[in-house]
Parts: sequence; structure tokens; C-alpha cells
Amino acid sequence: MSANTAKTALGSSATPSMGRGAAAAAPAVKTLKDERTTAQASPRVAGPAARSGGPPSPRTKKASKTTLYDRFIPSRSDKELASSQFNLARGEGAQPLDGAAAAYQSEVARACGLSIGRRILSFTEEAPGGDSSGDVRALYSRTALKTSASVGSRRSIRTAPERVLDAPGIVEDYYLNLLDWSPANVLAIGLDQQVFLWNASTGDVSTLLTLAGDAYVASIKWMAGTSPYLAVGTSDGDVQIWDAESGARIRTMGGRQARVAALSWHAHVLSAGSRDGSIWNHDVRVARHKTAELVAHRGEVCGLTWRSDGALLASGANDNIVNIWDVRSLVPRFSITQHTAAVKALAWSPWELSLLASGGGLHDQHVHFWNTTTTARLNSINTGSQVTSIQWSPEYRELATAHGFPHNHLALWRYPSLTKIVDIPAHDTRVLHTAMSPDGETIATAASDDCLKFWRVFEARPKGALPKSREADVAPSSSAGYASIR
Amino acid sequence: MQVQAQLTKGKITLKGSARIVTEFFKYGINSILFQRGIYPIEEFEVKKKYGLDVWVSSDPQVTKYLEKIMDSVGEWLAAGKINKLVLAVNSRETRETMERWQFDVHLVDEVVVPEEKPKPPKSDKALQMEIQAIFRQIAASVSFLPILEEKCTFNILVYTDADAEVPTTWADSDPHHIKNAEQVRLRSFSTDVHRVESMVAYRRDPDLC
Repeated sequence: MSANTAKTALGSSATPSMGRGAAAAAPAVKTLKDERTTAQASPRVAGPAARSGGPPSPRTKKASKTTLYDRFIPSRSDKELASSQFNLARGEGAQPLDGAAAAYQSEVARACGLSIGRRILSFTEEAPGGDSSGDVRALYSRTALKTSASVGSRRSIRTAPERVLDAPGIVEDYYLNLLDWSPANVLAIGLDQQVFLWNASTGDVSTLLTLAGDAYVASIKWMAGTSPYLAVGTSDGDVQIWDAESGARIRTMGGRQARVAALSWHAHVLSAGSRDGSIWNHDVRVARHKTAELVAHRGEVCGLTWRSDGALLASGANDNIVNIWDVRSLVPRFSITQHTAAVKALAWSPWELSLLASGGGLHDQHVHFWNTTTTARLNSINTGSQVTSIQWSPEYRELATAHGFPHNHLALWRYPSLTKIVDIPAHDTRVLHTAMSPDGETIATAASDDCLKFWRVFEARPKGALPKSREADVAPSSSAGYASIR
Repeated sequence: MQVQAQLTKGKITLKGSARIVTEFFKYGINSILFQRGIYPIEEFEVKKKYGLDVWVSSDPQVTKYLEKIMDSVGEWLAAGKINKLVLAVNSRETRETMERWQFDVHLVDEVVVPEEKPKPPKSDKALQMEIQAIFRQIAASVSFLPILEEKCTFNILVYTDADAEVPTTWADSDPHHIKNAEQVRLRSFSTDVHRVESMVAYRRDPDLC
């Protein structure tokens, strides 16, 4: 193509002689100079002054075989139509120009603002569009990747109860356990001689039972799993099993003298602790229900919880001792004597199998954390108030402690840092009983000020899986469906 | 890299060098697209290249688009016809060029000076270090480049010799220069066949003049 020859002819006449020593950096001969890219020698920013003003005179052009020179053009926003047309118009087979003609051509081309022998090509297709704004600021102001919300994030915890129900006639006795929330979302509360059921889903209230005689309800506990059986311990020493759906009493297990103030289920085994310090294990499926008698306490047993896998039973009593029982033996595996008051608050951690939290009474006010495998004390909190109940939250890795004298409050603590998150003034009198809702979000508290209050302190996070439905204290094992009870 | 292997390695060929330069362009363009926020950062992923973590677009459209461009560029490089590659960042609404990244490609001619012994072929390591330096500079350029306020798109321009074979996907265009531009020359690298110099031009902030 004639452009080729024109190029070689031109090459003889063109060399930029920019004062900036443009050729100094480039090692070789074949260089295409673009005057706009000046400041080659210095790596600094080249301002407008650095750009050369006009074309050097023809005299300064040296003979250089294929060096081309392009003239400085301040701004060009339209296509190089003239250049394209010029190239096309020349067509094939045009004669090569001689030296003088070529030089003239280059001058003319320069004057007209054309570049010969070089094409500037642009890809015809447009770049794919991005949808969102490519905000560079977002790139540099990105915070660290999201960590789990529970770490360090402050969620707002409502310190006002979500709901308040009346609970008149509740017995003011520290040692009783009169509140339990079933996995079927039914809350049972013992008010003196009666047990009421409140369906949390529908809001219905019904009376399940009324005890005869002078007996009052000392403890209630729902059976683990989906079965509607409720165990009721009375002040007579009887343990009754009721079917909440039909409202009928299924069974009465008697044989004891002292009141049964603590109950705990594990599958079909019901442990009942009484005032005389003994704990009986009942197998509710068989006629001879008493399967074991665990005697170690010398004070009233007020705290009793099975571990979720059913291997260990923790019992706390008025003798300030917590005993850890292995299911296979009648002698406690070990005893905890650190508390200086009655231990009613006992809770196994839902995510760490061997972790047990125990809370002491009025004189003690401490919550201790134990590794029941090694019997070591992991941690302690001095709460400042009588501890009546502990609830763990697996969703947030926190625990809630309910207190009596002197502050009557609910406290939330982060585990394992044991920093207090919030104090919630709960009741006017001692918060005697607590129960955790099956979805793990709400804690129900009962006190002798005749109020049953609900606190949504562990509200599930909006994204991600909701916490699995929990039960208060005693978690089920693999017992599914009904266990037949006679 | 053993010195032994370095010396016994043959000189890099034009084709090999073309491949290296094409790869450099591909990753360089991806890096610029990432750093300047042309596409959202979610559409990028990190790849290990040149001993660095480089950001490459994970959007298949963008990848295909660049693939087509790089094919042509590779051919021109192998033929020795390409002089410059320009990435022009244009605002979407006004179509004005906000930034202009220019890579000059020169064919290195060995000037054989009889007295000196020929230079040893450039080691891969040295080449990698040079390319690394450029990538680091691209990343560091955000410290002086003005933030692109508007949504931008980009255009790839290629300055070729007039006798280059041009497929139909390419058309003549204007050089997309920036009025009143500030220019910064960045580092260069050279395989023994090609030498690539880079620079960026951007709009000077009118308030500062």
C-alpha cells in the first residue's frame, strides 16, 4: 500500500527534537514518537508547560529510517475521518513518492492535522455495562468482612417486658420451681393449689388441675419432647403425671413424706428431689416406678437438672452443695462446695456439654462455671444479688441470671467474657422462677408480686437460621413421640 | 531460578514475548478496571500472578469482551504492528474521557556492538519484578488519581501501523485525549523483544489550577 512507502519516505524526514531528550530513554531506532507523551526523561507529572508548542522546523529532522513524527494537536474529539478518507482515496497502486514529494506530503498532512501511517483503532463493541455504581470510594472505605453478629455487635435489648400476665396466689418460697415452658409452647405455672396452662401461641388460659386437701404445688416440669405430659410435685411428697391435652391425671407416684420441690426429666426418667435431701429416679413407664434413690444431700433439694445427653444429673440443695451424679451410680461423681448458700440455679450449657453454671443464694450471690469432666471451676461472677435461676442462650452465647434480694432483677452476661450486657429491673419482689421459650427468644419470669412477665431478650437475628427450639433446663435426648405411661 | 538454567535458556522469541505482553495487558486492564471502580468490586476475584495477588474480573461478559480484544492485540504484537495500547475511561453520560492509560509498545532492536559481549537473556525473575512494579504502581496510583464521580465505561484503543491487518471488529477512532491533562509516567518493563512503557493521564482538577 502506498502508505507504506510513504511511511518509509517520510521516515527520512522526521525526527522530533524535543528539548526533553525524548530519544534518550528509548534504546532503539524504531520508535514512534507521540509528542503528547512528553516528559519521558523525568518521571514526574508533566504539566501543560511541558508539552511542546509546535512542530520543530524541518531543518532539525534527522534521517532516521522508520521514525515517524506526529504533530501536537491540542484537542480532537471527532474521528479522524480526514485521515481515513485520505488513506482510502490514495487507493492501491499509487506510485511511491520521491523524497521531496514525501516531505511535502508530510508537511501538508501535519498542517491538516492528519497522522499518516498509523491507525488508531477502537474496538467496535462497547464494554459490558456494570449495573451498580463502580464507586471507587466503596473500594477504599470497605470495612472488614462481616463477622458474626454476636461478636461485638450491640443489639438492642428491650428492658421492658413484652407481656405481663397475672399470677395471683403464687407461693413465695425460694425452694419451689413453679414455672416451666413446654416445647409445644405452653407455659405451665403453679399457683398455690392449682396449675394453669397458658398457650403462648393462642393466648388461651386453662386450669389443668387443682390439688385436693391442703397440698400445694411445689414443682412442675414438662416432659421432654413433644409429649404433653406434665409432672407435678406436691407438698405431700407425691409426684403426679398429668396429660395436658386431655386434662387427665395419668399417674400418681407416691411413697415419700417430704415435699417434692425439684423435678427434672430425661427421656422417660423423672428425677424428683425432695425436702429430705433424697432424689428419686422414677421410670414412668413401669409400675414399679422408683428406679433409684440418690441420697447425698442434707438439705432440701431445690435445683435439679439433667444434662442434655442424660449422662449426668446436677443437683443443688439447701446444704450449699452441688452434687454431680453419674447416671450409672448411686454415689455422686463429685461435689461442689464453693457456694455458701443454697443452690437453686443450675443450668447446663447448650453448646458445651460439660459446662455447668451454678448460682448461689442470698449469702453467696456468685455464679460459678464448672467443667464437669475435669471438675475444675472455670469462672465465676459475683452478681451482687441472690441468684434464683440461670438460662443460657445458644443463639448469642449469653446467659441470663434471675435474682432475688436485693435487686430483684434480670442480668444478661456474655459468655465466656462474662461481661454484663444489661441489668433489667424485673419485679418488685424476688424473681423466683424463670422459663425459656422453645424458640429461645423469650424468658418468662414469675415473682411473688403476682406478675408473670415475658422478656424478649434473645431476639433472633433477622438473617440466618433461627435458633432451634429449646426447652428450659432439661433438653430432650432422642426421645421422640409419646412414651407410654401407665 | 538457577543461574545455570538462566544461561542455558534461549532468547525469548517474538511469539513468546508477544504472549507475555498480551498477558500483561490482560491483567493490567483488569487491575485498572478494579482499582478505578469501573465495575463493582464484587465482580472481581483475586488470582495469583507475577507473584502478586491481582484482581481479575469474574464477570463472564467482561472476560469475554477482553478476550476478544486480547486476541487481536496478541496477533498484532506477534506481527510487530502495534505501537500503543490505550485504555480510555469515559464517563457514561457525557462520553468524555476522564482517564487515559497508555502503554507504549516498542520492539527492542538489539544494537549489536561488537566490542561488548551480548547481554544475557533477561531472567524470568527480573521480568516478573518489573511487571510487579507496574502493578504496584497501578494500585498506588489511586493516591493521586481523582475519584471518578460518575459511572464510567472504558474503551480500548490500539495504535497500529498502517499496514496492520485489522479485523472488522475494530474501527478507526480518535485518540480520546484529555483536555488539560496531567500525566504521570509509570514504570516500564521489557522482555528482550518488546518494551512496554506505561503512563496515565487524567483530568486536572479545575479548582486547583
